[in-house]
Amino acid sequence: MASDTTILQPFDFTKDHLANKQQGLWEMAFRRLIRNRLAFIAAIILVIITAVSIAGQFIPAVERHSATFQQYQVVNTGPNSEYWLGTDNLGRDLWARLLYGTLFSLKIGVGTQIVVLIVGITIGMGAALGGKISDTILMWITDLAYAFPDLLAIILLRQVLFGRDWPIIGTGDPQIPGFPSAILGTILAISLVSWVTIARLVRGQMLSIKEQDYVLAARAIGASPWRVVRAHMLPNTLSTVIVAVTFGIPLAIFAEGALGFIGLGVPSPFTSLGALMGDGYANLFVNNWQVVWPAIMVATLMLCFTFLGDGLRDALDPRTRK
Amino acid sequence: MIAYAIRRVLLMVPLLFAVATVTFFLMHSVEGGPFDTDKPMSEAARERLNEKYNLDGSLVEQYGHFMANTAKLDLGISISSNERPVRDIIQEKFGVSLQLGICAFLFAITLGVTLGAISAINQNGIGDYVGVFMATSGAALPSFILAPLLVIFFALKLNWFDVLGWELWNYKKMVLPSVAMGMLPGAFIARIARASMLDILRQDYIRTARAKGVKEFTVILRHAVKNALIPVLTILGPIFAGLITGSFIIENAFAIPGLGNAFVGSVLVRDYGVIMGVTLFYAGIIALMNLIVDLLYAVADPRIRL
Repeated sequence: MASDTTILQPFDFTKDHLANKQQGLWEMAFRRLIRNRLAFIAAIILVIITAVSIAGQFIPAVERHSATFQQYQVVNTGPNSEYWLGTDNLGRDLWARLLYGTLFSLKIGVGTQIVVLIVGITIGMGAALGGKISDTILMWITDLAYAFPDLLAIILLRQVLFGRDWPIIGTGDPQIPGFPSAILGTILAISLVSWVTIARLVRGQMLSIKEQDYVLAARAIGASPWRVVRAHMLPNTLSTVIVAVTFGIPLAIFAEGALGFIGLGVPSPFTSLGALMGDGYANLFVNNWQVVWPAIMVATLMLCFTFLGDGLRDALDPRTRK
Repeated sequence: MIAYAIRRVLLMVPLLFAVATVTFFLMHSVEGGPFDTDKPMSEAARERLNEKYNLDGSLVEQYGHFMANTAKLDLGISISSNERPVRDIIQEKFGVSLQLGICAFLFAITLGVTLGAISAINQNGIGDYVGVFMATSGAALPSFILAPLLVIFFALKLNWFDVLGWELWNYKKMVLPSVAMGMLPGAFIARIARASMLDILRQDYIRTARAKGVKEFTVILRHAVKNALIPVLTILGPIFAGLITGSFIIENAFAIPGLGNAFVGSVLVRDYGVIMGVTLFYAGIIALMNLIVDLLYAVADPRIRL
């Protein structure tokens, strides 16, 4: 019979059956992310915003007018064909300033998360894997950092960190290309408050992964502790951490915006979305547009990062996998 | 439960002590001091001032002195506002912040629970889309973005509300700050309320209630919403604490004389007493709110034992 012959057919070892079906976690996650329309659109918008704001720094045709050049004959104009978004109270082009401020805020968002990742993963891992005493001490520090009201601590730290004579980069202007000390102070102030979430997350994940069978199996076949951590435990915490970082970027942009809004933003001639908001709000009665543009930009960034984070979480969380 | 509460309150003491220590050394490492002026001040005058406000002596001495006073609940006097006791300042300013926080909180709960419940009842219907859309866009509108937009539209264009200030029971001054501050937590509550409501509506006891002929309105309100509120309850504590301690931005935007504004001002002029007092006070409130939530949780869900 026909069905018998199909069953009895020998397994074709020349075909690589496994390789055809196998998909890595990241490949699958990436496909799911692309299929998630909202997250995909959000990612594209973010790429465009980043690209345009970077291009503004290098291509005069994109920037159109200098972000710092003051023209006293065109103060506080509304949007027009020459100044697309209008000008501020010193006659500076708002389009150029918006691009500059957006890039600044993005740098702060990403820079914060880099510091948060380093501090958070180190402390979280130290607590989960370093034994009882290290766990107690590190978690006590975490609880202490958590006990401070966020914004209050950020404001205080910002005051401590600004205008300081740093050991390597000095007080002033760009020592690290693209990261003047005005950015570094803000980044450190925000990240020294927000590493707590990642540290707790990493600790929780590590503690649960430590008890998994595959870790036991790896140890049983004689893998070194470092290899177990590097090859098995860290990659498995990565998906949670990536999602947390994606949500962390808009939170950092938000914190920077809040600082700028109450007048503790980056000092002139630098500007960020928060500083633009603060300047614009001070000129509210003269020129409404000045506060509207950075507001729209911050809202767009926060919305896009939130959608991207949602999409990443769905894509990386095995429980929602079909 | 009482024993648990007492233990938690006792554990707050070392925490607050640590917060005070960190804040003390942080604020003294901010460059500049409270008596820095544009014109040079004579050494003698500076010495007298330092002596008067206990700022003479080494940092460790000052720290010991400060801690001893704080243990007696004496937060010292404010350097920048005519020697008023810090405790008086906190009492007065916190009253305003509390009013603002409570209004924003009530707005957030009303908005969040209503949106969440409507979305869940009309799952995948028009009500759901409207609710989810509002919750999502609200999550992208922090207070410092919403405040200027609301002011431009409702105060400047429509002239419905005032641009600045705060006055209890004067809706013209109360609505905009409360809405601006409550939108983000409201959107957050809506998401949680929707998820928990969807879960509850599929429970057996909801089917039982409908089967025995309870009116749909009663089913939703008494059986579903009431139980769906338990997960919401756990986030209300942090949200409330966040609202009454995080009002810096809104107080600044609307020129409201609250504690947040006082803190920012005191950081700028290095008014050490106020910085310290506000930080400790806020840290205490946050710890207390977390405790209250844990206790409330046990009351709301009898299965949880403390």
